[in-house]
Amino acid sequence: MLAAAAAVPQTATPQTPPADADLDSARAQMKTSAQQIAKVKLPTATEPAFHFKA
Amino acid sequence: MAKFNFTDDIFFSSISELSASLRKKEFSTVELTHAFCDRLEKLGARYHALALSLRDTALRKAKEVDRDFKLDRVRSPLQGIPYGAKDLLAVNGKPTTWGTKAFAGQVFKEDAQVIDLLDKAGAILIGKLSMVELAGGGGNRYPSASATGACLNPWDRTYWSGGSSSGPGTATAAGLVTFSIGSETSGSILGPSAYCGITGLRPTYGLVSRRGAMALAWTLDKIGPMCRSAEDCALVLSVIAGNDYEDPGSAGKSFHYAPQFARKPDEITIGYAPVDFDESTAPETRAGFQEALKMVKSLGMRMKEVEIPDFPYTALVTTIIAAEGASSFEDFIRSGKADELIEHRQAQGLKANLEIPAVDYLRAMRVRALVQQAFRDLFLDVDFLLAPTKPNIAWKLTDRLDAPATPPKSRGLSGLIPAGNLAGLPALSLPCGFASGLPIAISFVGRPFYENQLIAIGKAFQSHTDWHRKRPPVTE
Repeated sequence: MLAAAAAVPQTATPQTPPADADLDSARAQMKTSAQQIAKVKLPTATEPAFHFKA
Repeated sequence: MAKFNFTDDIFFSSISELSASLRKKEFSTVELTHAFCDRLEKLGARYHALALSLRDTALRKAKEVDRDFKLDRVRSPLQGIPYGAKDLLAVNGKPTTWGTKAFAGQVFKEDAQVIDLLDKAGAILIGKLSMVELAGGGGNRYPSASATGACLNPWDRTYWSGGSSSGPGTATAAGLVTFSIGSETSGSILGPSAYCGITGLRPTYGLVSRRGAMALAWTLDKIGPMCRSAEDCALVLSVIAGNDYEDPGSAGKSFHYAPQFARKPDEITIGYAPVDFDESTAPETRAGFQEALKMVKSLGMRMKEVEIPDFPYTALVTTIIAAEGASSFEDFIRSGKADELIEHRQAQGLKANLEIPAVDYLRAMRVRALVQQAFRDLFLDVDFLLAPTKPNIAWKLTDRLDAPATPPKSRGLSGLIPAGNLAGLPALSLPCGFASGLPIAISFVGRPFYENQLIAIGKAFQSHTDWHRKRPPVTE
């Protein structure tokens, strides 16, 4: 078994995972969200909202 | 003592009513706990609202509370009151599944902070309640994405309770518990409260400790009460709110219920948009929402037409939840355990979330700072915002939750749920009528830490309406 494993060429093409419609739709949704957010005009000095003030 | 006959009047009592009966010794805490456990185990399972019965520990606690009552030791208005907690809250030594079989064997050695506080106040935890798996962090497509199955709406079992605090919504509405504890990252308290016809309070971010709760999105997660009235929400909040050094998001504030200091109606300005009560809502709900608006106007508060600041709220909240959730569940996703989730879409959604570029997350958080400033500006003109909690009735069990929504023709205050969560604002959802036999609700949203005034408005509304007293046709 070990010998057989060693015989596998090192240049074998990695298996491409099968396409997944749900994964694609999740990625597409993220991309759409990013595009919508990118349209908001954002002053350079604006820092992320990590603190909440009353 | 003769055996007490527990009727619906008891199961649908408010906290104050039950508390008064316990103090008058009309029945014991043990008897009450037995009756509620019987009902929760029987109907909770039927409605897919129950994740785990805690009968044994509840009865032990009930005996302690009865001893306290005998000695006139009064700990809080919640003493002896049976409640349920969403299954994302840790209970010492009991399974905490976060709504998924992938975490079926998970047991924590400590109570969540809210469970601990409620225990000290004498409340009786009788069960853990169902939820959408991982609170829908991967973007669930169907109501069935839960270890316990789609949680049924007590007003019509062909409809969903909403999520992700599904069990708390159904169990409270069906009189299986007197109140429940839910959580909201963006809509998970308000949504099920509206769809099930109960009163839900989303506290200001940081007011209630999240220690011991499943983390979905650290900068958004909040824990809050789901009850039968605004007053009940106040009583629960006064126990669970407070500083916690072990919750990095804790605001260091407490909440003391003080109705005596509520401002008079004519000193309050409500911001609203007429379109929200008309063409932005589902046609069958409009008459109910317009009636509710009329009722609010009759309370004597000043009404001012406003619009929500223009931001892509849903895109912002989705991106932030996705990025923080992917980080929170990174090991779970990379280990392949995410594939054990019931819904394939959720598992794939979590995987996709791992790919969000850091700059996209940071941009969302920077835009969020603008959102917060815009709401601070808006609250210079008004004290509270008012809008339908949801512009529609509950979803059918078979509905797709990710079907694209038609954007409203006019902005009004649409998007107030994600916007309010992004800004960390408190909100109170109040039942305001029915459409097609299912509840509809309005929400008031206030400045951070204005819960007392929010509750005062809710009480005023509920003193002139009886929607919160309606009982669903629960049959055994």
